[in-house]
Amino acid sequence: RSRSKSKRVSGFDLAPPPSAMLAGAAAVTGQISASNPTIPGVL
Amino acid sequence: CSRLHTKPSISPTILLSNMYQRPDMITPGVDVNGLPIDPRKIQDHFEEFYEDLFEELSKYGDIESLNVCDNLADHMVGNVYVQFREEEHAANAVRNLTGRFYAGRPIIVDFSPVTDFREATCR
Repeated sequence: RSRSKSKRVSGFDLAPPPSAMLAGAAAVTGQISASNPTIPGVL
Repeated sequence: CSRLHTKPSISPTILLSNMYQRPDMITPGVDVNGLPIDPRKIQDHFEEFYEDLFEELSKYGDIESLNVCDNLADHMVGNVYVQFREEEHAANAVRNLTGRFYAGRPIIVDFSPVTDFREATCR
């Protein structure tokens, strides 16, 4: 078969969609910004 | 069958858990949006998956057999069993596939005790 010659992209190393990644990143930055107000008090 | 199978520390066969997902996995013959899928599309989808697998796995050793569970029941759904000619080839595949992704989902890879697929049914 010649179908494999036409460059179809393999599903290997296809990471999860960026939307899933962004949701995780937002949760992390949320935690960081929440701790920010305490910093001026400490300093 | 209790399904509590022991995982060998080395084997010529590896198991890729739930790796194949049919396009009509929710309802047979129907896609996620409820639209009917052409059976040829489902076949093409499967063949492309098989091709991807074969191409990738061939990098790690000689493949003796490649079994894909194309079922809809939750037991073993989409499990892929790959038997290599040598245990070392299987170990190489496990090392190289661990922690990677396929079609947006993590690859779950382990050794499997199965060496004869005709005898692989639990009773």
